[in-house]
Order: sequence, then structure tokens, then C-alpha cells
Amino acid sequence: MFPNAFEYEAPTSLDDAIRLIREHGYDAKVLAGGQSLLPMMKLRIAAPAVLIDINGIDELKGWREVDGTLRIGAMTRHAELEHARELADSFPLLSRTARWIADPLIRNRGTIGGSLAHADPGADWGAAMLAAGARIEARGPEGSRLIPVDEFFVDTFATSLNEDELVVAVHIDKPTGPVAARYMKLERKAGDFAIAALGVQVELDSNGRVAKAGIGMCACGPIPLRATKAEAALIGQPLTDETIKTVSRLVPEDADPTDDLRGSAEYKRDLLRVFASRALHEIAEELKGKVGGQ
Amino acid sequence: MSEVLKPQFTGARVTRLEDARLLRGQARYVDDFEYPGTLEVAFLRSNRAAARIQSVDVTEALAVPGVKAVWTFADCPITLPDRPFQVGQPVLARDEVRFVGEPVAAVIADSRYRAEDAVEKIRVQYEPLPAVVDSRAALADQPRRVHEHRPNRFLHKTHVTDGFNEAFQSAPHHLELTFRWNRQTGVTMETRGCLALPDPVSGRLTVYAGHQSPHGLRGMLARLLKLPEHQVRVVVPEVGGGFGIKAMFYPEYVVVAEAARRLGRPVKWIGDRMESLLADAHARDAIHEVAVAYDDEGRILAVRDHVIGDTGAYAFPGFPGAVGEANWATEMLTGPYKIPHVSIEIECVFSNKAPLGPYRGVGGPIGAQVQEAIVDAVARALGKDPVEVRRANLIGPEDFPYHTPTGKVYDPGSYGESLERALALVDYERFRKDQEQWRAQGRYVGLGLCVFVEPSAMAESEAGSIPYEAVTLRMEPSGVVTAAVGTGPTGQGHETTFAQLIADQLGIDVKDVVVLHGDTDSAPFGGGTGGSRSGTIGGGAAIRAGQALRRKLTQLAAHLLEAAEEDIRLEAGKAFVAGVPARSITIRDLARTAYTDVARLPEGMQPGLEVVARYQPPGAATYSNGTHLAVVEVDVETGFVKVLDYVVVNDCGVLVNPMIVEGQIHGGVAQGIGSALLEELRYDENGQLTTTSLMDYLLPTAEDVPRMRVEHIQTPSASEGGIKGMGEGSLIAAPGAIAAAVSDALAPFGVFVTELPIRPQQIVAWVQAAKTEAQAG
Repeated sequence: MFPNAFEYEAPTSLDDAIRLIREHGYDAKVLAGGQSLLPMMKLRIAAPAVLIDINGIDELKGWREVDGTLRIGAMTRHAELEHARELADSFPLLSRTARWIADPLIRNRGTIGGSLAHADPGADWGAAMLAAGARIEARGPEGSRLIPVDEFFVDTFATSLNEDELVVAVHIDKPTGPVAARYMKLERKAGDFAIAALGVQVELDSNGRVAKAGIGMCACGPIPLRATKAEAALIGQPLTDETIKTVSRLVPEDADPTDDLRGSAEYKRDLLRVFASRALHEIAEELKGKVGGQ
Repeated sequence: MSEVLKPQFTGARVTRLEDARLLRGQARYVDDFEYPGTLEVAFLRSNRAAARIQSVDVTEALAVPGVKAVWTFADCPITLPDRPFQVGQPVLARDEVRFVGEPVAAVIADSRYRAEDAVEKIRVQYEPLPAVVDSRAALADQPRRVHEHRPNRFLHKTHVTDGFNEAFQSAPHHLELTFRWNRQTGVTMETRGCLALPDPVSGRLTVYAGHQSPHGLRGMLARLLKLPEHQVRVVVPEVGGGFGIKAMFYPEYVVVAEAARRLGRPVKWIGDRMESLLADAHARDAIHEVAVAYDDEGRILAVRDHVIGDTGAYAFPGFPGAVGEANWATEMLTGPYKIPHVSIEIECVFSNKAPLGPYRGVGGPIGAQVQEAIVDAVARALGKDPVEVRRANLIGPEDFPYHTPTGKVYDPGSYGESLERALALVDYERFRKDQEQWRAQGRYVGLGLCVFVEPSAMAESEAGSIPYEAVTLRMEPSGVVTAAVGTGPTGQGHETTFAQLIADQLGIDVKDVVVLHGDTDSAPFGGGTGGSRSGTIGGGAAIRAGQALRRKLTQLAAHLLEAAEEDIRLEAGKAFVAGVPARSITIRDLARTAYTDVARLPEGMQPGLEVVARYQPPGAATYSNGTHLAVVEVDVETGFVKVLDYVVVNDCGVLVNPMIVEGQIHGGVAQGIGSALLEELRYDENGQLTTTSLMDYLLPTAEDVPRMRVEHIQTPSASEGGIKGMGEGSLIAAPGAIAAAVSDALAPFGVFVTELPIRPQQIVAWVQAAKTEAQAG
């Protein structure tokens, strides 16, 4: 529980940070909230030669809405999103997911950008971002690019970021119709990693039928996975009991869980079905009366 | 003048005197002691469950800057005592490793960081051996012997009551159940650690350690380091939880003390959390194969129990955990019930897992769960209410002293009364009606009971076999009392409890009693803390010491006030003549006189106010009792269990401080919830421990523990002050109550819990299997 020796850098501008990342390459690790990295260093699972602390970079903090898109700075803490009431109506998954992350102490320090870049399949933001259809903004020496979340996760602890790129923000489009979302997670005790978790977001059209649907699965594969078949089955349908039953059964079909200490693959698949059913029922209830003429 | 009723403090909710420093972060634990020039130790631990050590190359490790020494067994050839099983653990592995986490080498360096760097550079060549991980296979020495020179089974004993066979065979009904408790441990918030300071002038060694038995630790260190006992001083500062774990003697302590002696420098080792989960005493890990004979009324006539206990690779000196677990579980198997016949067989084996030691309650939690499950299973088989079956079997007030079929003698308790009170607190009849309605709505709520009996204050426990405790009392010239005790508190509030008892004897304020403990230079020889002995035995000694000092104060006051000794009262800081409160002298003046105005002392009285008293209770044990009642709701789709309500009716004899007793209960119930639902040390088939962080070994948090209701009944013991021990009862009873509640909630699916902890996926599997079966049928 004592890390190897390392050098410490604390740039105050994004340009400096990217210069340092480029300079040190894979010998360096970026320190955001540190809630995964520091324990790994203390266990000597990670032993970076250089730590680049980006907590002093103001450009990475806070969020703003521009042209119907929310841009959340990478250094935004989980707790800030948990308590951001102004985002609750249009971006319901943010607060609903954040409140499930670990414990309050970790939420106070951990960041959305750090969590996504770390790419732990048991982390909550990946599934939520899939459900919300987010894009990840990466910045490197050549400038910025937007990576659709579906292309961001490559494998466990591996992303499509280049060696010299940094996650600087998350972009989420503002829904145009009535929207509701749920994040459901089973943890054996408060603050534990998920046995399985599910993020669901549904947007209705003016006829009360599903216009957009996003379902992301956590801790059920090497990376956060999208329940593609279930999403497709939702589009164009009203949220009836029958639809929900059919869709819920489709969710586990895109999952790829393994047996581990927290549960068997079979059990996790079953949980996904149960969560999908519960989430969609709650969403249906919430959206009742939000559609004109229904 | 004094309106104060005696006793003033015993039985009162006195705020804990230790809390001011504990809650402000001012208390000092082992790691808070810093001495210039201290070296730190990091251990290389085995990553194999079983392997022969072919070579250990420390060359590179020695080259790391700041490293003073790298030791293997050859450099520190000390082995822990091997009696009575002819198996002693070398303090650093010798030729062979026998469990993951076993210390193989020690690096002593000028900082822990550098010591850890050097550990990474030690090269060990292992020749793997098949790991013994299954206790049933281990019994047959499969796949091999853990210790080549002896069979794995190191203990086999039986106890069968006369007439068992006939009683068992002639009974109208029988049922069989196999119970399994997985490995757990008593995770302490402060990990183990020690700091050894050599004194080059005297050759004395001072050892700071978080430990439950300061004198026991001193004796063992002196023996293994071949030092005269007076050359070792043990200081136990604040301890962040012990739970039995810290009553044991561990190899690391020897290495640290020996390093300090040989290198002539202070040496410190503080275990990290991974070391704690790997190599602190583990607990539980037993199988109970039980058969029950009973009649139409649900009266249990005979119980057979075959126990297989897995003690891991070595037996802790003085406390081989599996033996402690199995003995307690089977000796208390009949609990509060009048079961006349038992047949017990115990088999304990070595395996390639960490050594098993004591954890709060030792075998009690398993025994209580088995005992209550037997009753619930009989009720279910007969279609009777589990409460009715309990009533039919309970030991009544007329039965005391009650002789159990395992040779124990229960002193009076309130078994039936505690049950009835607990039922009243939740309105049991109403609950059963509500339960039916909830089930109709698809909500599965269950109620579980555990009527427990807790043996306490035994001569033998994990704290050793010292049957008495001692208290030294010194009233200073200021009138303030200093009391030195031999117990080893780890958070239980001894300073407050003993101060209450002493203050009441002397008629002084509780804040005027300062309790010292943990330093073998100032504390009288004592057994320490374990087996719920401190309140009864230590408290008894405190009362006896208080009485002795009281006699002297009374004698002096009678002389000064010119009254008869029997007319002197000590109250509210004064000695006065009964009925004539104006004829008084303050206790402070008495104290000053005793030391500095000795011409006024009665003829023949020695100056000063100092006494030592020792106390050994009259009985072999005194038995606390009570009832735990848990209400849980089970989500049958996810397998998640939520504790909705929790009631405790507790009887530990005369209460010294109800607030402290309730604190003990709250903590024990929390640990019980962990035991029943979360905590599990899991070894894989190769003997690798897969739960080496608190992200994998799951402990309950505040959110998992309900607000509980606690009531007290006070049936005094025959011990001094009528006190009974109660440190373990809450953890003894809680797992059984939770398990029973889950079984009750899932009764519509025919589920009956026999394995702890209960995993959510198991619940889902049970329910789905029952549904599938129902559809097929």
C-alpha cells in the first residue's frame, strides 16, 4: 500500500498538460480525481514514472450549453453532477447515475472525465453515456476531436484515445421531446461496485411513441455495452406493459458478463432483465401525461 | 444533606470518559508514536498456497538505498510454540510455504517506501505443491498432508450423552440439515502493528502493540527472544478494535522485536489492509452435519452434530481457531432449549489457508444459528408457529441452575421473558397477519428469531487461561484515584465502566477516577480482554479494590470524626456520620491526611492509600441471554435483502453502563448483518485468497444497518456486583436471526437457509428453482 517513486507535474493550462503527456508518453499517468489511480498505485498495480495532475486546469471545469448541446468539462466531479438541479429535466441520467457512484467521499473527488478515460467496465458513467448518446471530446497536440461513446471503449482499461490525447469534455445533445431516464444498480452494500447496472433513457415523439432510446449496461462485459436489440425494439412503440416485457427480455442478449466474486454470468443477465423492466415501467409512469393529447 | 441514592454511577448512562480524546482525534495509536531513527519493516509474503522454497535471492533487495537488512528464516530462526499438535509456525517461512500471505522474508529499511521497493526485488524460487483447500478432502489427507510429518486431522473428539441412541431412535420424527459457514474475519479499523524500542543501557526492550492481552504478549515475546520477562515492557496504547484478532500472537511481532534488538534501532511495522485480510486470524469456516429427533409437539429430544473445522495451515499458540469454534458451537448447541440428549463429533484439520483464530463470539454465532435453525426446521416440518415450538422447548425459571447435556451449568436467566418481550415489541400476531397480505402483493417479508445464551467470564478464553483479574488502586493526596488494570480494552470503554464501579465504592465523582491500562510496567498482572471477561472479572476486581480502599477511608474517617466505623458513610466526596451529615470531612482531606499529616492517623495505620485486589468469580462461567428479532424484506427478483426492523432484548445481569452495553450491541448486530449477508473470505481451488481488499471483502456500512430497538432485563449473576459478560452475545445472535428471517421470508418458496453468508444470486436461484418446480408440478 506504498506506491513506487514517481515524478509529479501540475500544469495549469491545457497546452502545458498536453505537452507533458506527449513528452512522457506511456510513462505518465494523468491524475484527475485519483479515486482509481491512487489505490492502484498504492497496490503497485500501476507504477507511473510521472504523474500529471490536471486539477489546476480551470478550462476543464464546469459545464455549459451551446446550440442544444451540453458540454461537461472533464474535471467535473461526480458530486457536482449529482446535485446539478438545472440539468435534471433535460439530462436526467446525470444526477440519477452520479448518486449511485461509490460513496460521497469518492463522489466529491472523482471526475466524469477521469472515470471515462480509466475505462473500468464496472464504472457507472460508461453505461450512462451510452444511454445518453454522448460524445467524448479528446484534445491532443493536433487539436480536438469528438469520439462517439460507442467508439470510445476498446477493452477493459483501454480506450481509443491516442497516447498523447486527453479527455477534455463530454458532449450530450439536449433531447427535443419528453424525456425520462433511470439508472439501476445492484450493489451488495452501499458504495460497492455493481453486480450489474443499467442506464436507460427514453425520448418520446408527439404521439407518445418512443422516438429515441438508449440502454447502456455496466459490469456486464469487458467494456460498457449497448443493448442494441432492445433499443431497436423500443423505437416507434408506445411504452405498454407488453412492449416493456418484450424489450426487457432482449436486453441481456447484448450483454457479455462473466462469473466473478459478485455473481454468476447467468445471474447478471437476469438482473439486467429485471432492471430493464423496472426502469421502463418507472419511465412509462413518469412520462404519462407529458405528451400532448394523450 | 446528600440526597444522592447509592449507587450513584453503577447503572447510569455515564458519557464515556475516553470519548473526548477519541472523537477529537487526539488519541494515540501504535503508528502515532514516532521515535527518531526508526526503521520500518515490509514483509514479502507468499503468493502460493503450498510450495517448496528452492531459493531466496536477496542480493538486489539489499542494494536498494536505505535497506539495512533483509531476513529470511536463516537470519531469524525462531518458531512459534508447536504444542500440542507438533506444528509450530516459523516466524519466516522455513523451506516451505503453507498459505498465501505467510511471511517469507522481511526487509528492514529507513522507510516503508524503500522497504516495499526492496521487497519487489527479492527473488524466490518456488516448487509448487498441490494445495489442500477442501476440509472434507483434507480429512483423508487429500490431496496431501499440509505438514509432512503428521496427518491433517489434528483433533478428533466425541461426546455422547448416556441414552442418546435410544432417545434418538425412538423419537417419532427426524430431520437432517447440513450447515456451512464460510470464512470470515473480524476486520479491525486499525490494522495490526508494533513498534519495538531497544534501550542500549539496560538491554530492555519496549514493545508498543495493539493487543488485547499486554501481559500475555510480554510473556510470549520474552520466551521466544530468550529474555527475562522483566527485560520486556509491553505498552498497549489506544487500540482501534480487537474482536479477538488482536488477542493472538503473530510472527511479525517476533521479527520486529528481534530486529530492534539486533540492529539497536527502533523498528516499526504497521500492517496494511491487504496484509490484514491475508494474515490476521481468520474465523468460522466450519461444516455442521446435524440430525434432529423430535416429537409431535415439536419437543426436541436429541441432536446429533458432526463438525468439520478447518484451522488453516497452523494453530495459533494457545488458540487453534477451529477447535475454539467447534468447541463453543457444540458446547452451546442446545442454547436456551431443554434438549436432553446430544451426540457430538468434532474433527479439525489443517489446510493451506491462513490460520484460524478467535473472532468475537468464536463458535457462538454458528452454534446459535444451528440451534435456532433446528427449532425453525422442526416448526416448519410440523406446520407449527416457530414461536410455539420455542415455547415448548425453552428452559424455564424453575429449571435453574440448569445442567446442559454438554456439561455446562447455566445460572439464572430470562430466556422465555426475553422472547415474549421481543415479540411484544413488534406485535408478533399482527406481523403474521401483515405478512400474509404482503405475500399476496408479492412482497416477501420475514421475521427471524434468535434466543441466545452467551457464556462469559470463563477461565479459559482466547485471552489465555488466567482465571482472575487484578486492580491496583491509589488515592493520591489530592483525593483523585488512579486505578491500574490488567485488562486490554480495544474500544469497549473500560476506563468509564471501572471508574463507575470504583467511584461508587468510594463516594467520589466518576471523573475523579483515572483508569490506566496496557502498560506492563504499571498494570498489575492480568489475563487481558477476551471471552467477555473484563466486565465480570475485571469489574469484580475493581469493586473488590474499591471495597478495600473504602475500608481504610472509613477507618480513618471514624477516627477523625470520633464515630464508630459502621456509622461512617462515604458519599458525594465526603465522609460523614450517618444521620448527622454536619459531622463530616471531605474525602480529599482524608487523602491529604493519610499522606501528609500522618500524626493524626489512628494507631497502627500505615500512611498512604494504596491497595491491590484480585478477583476470581465463583462459577466456571456466567451466562448472559437475550432475544434478537429481525424483520427483513427480500427482493426475490434481485436477491437483495434489506433489514427493516431489529429488536434486541438483552439480559447481562446488573448493568454498569446501559449506554456502553447498547453500543456493544449495536456493533455486534452490525457485524452480524455482515456475517449473514456480506462477509466472506474466498479461497479459490488453488488456495489463492481472492478477497484481499475491502472492495471484495464486504463490510456493512451505516446504510446496511437499521436503527435498532434495545431493551434490558437484569437477572444478576453470582459474581461480584451481579455482572455478566456481554461483549459477544450480539454477534452470536444476529447472524442466526437474520438467516431465520430470510428463511421465513422465502418460506413460500420452500427455502431454508443453511449456508452463510447468503449471496443474492443464491436467493434468486432458490426462488427460480421453486417456481420452475411449481410449474412442472
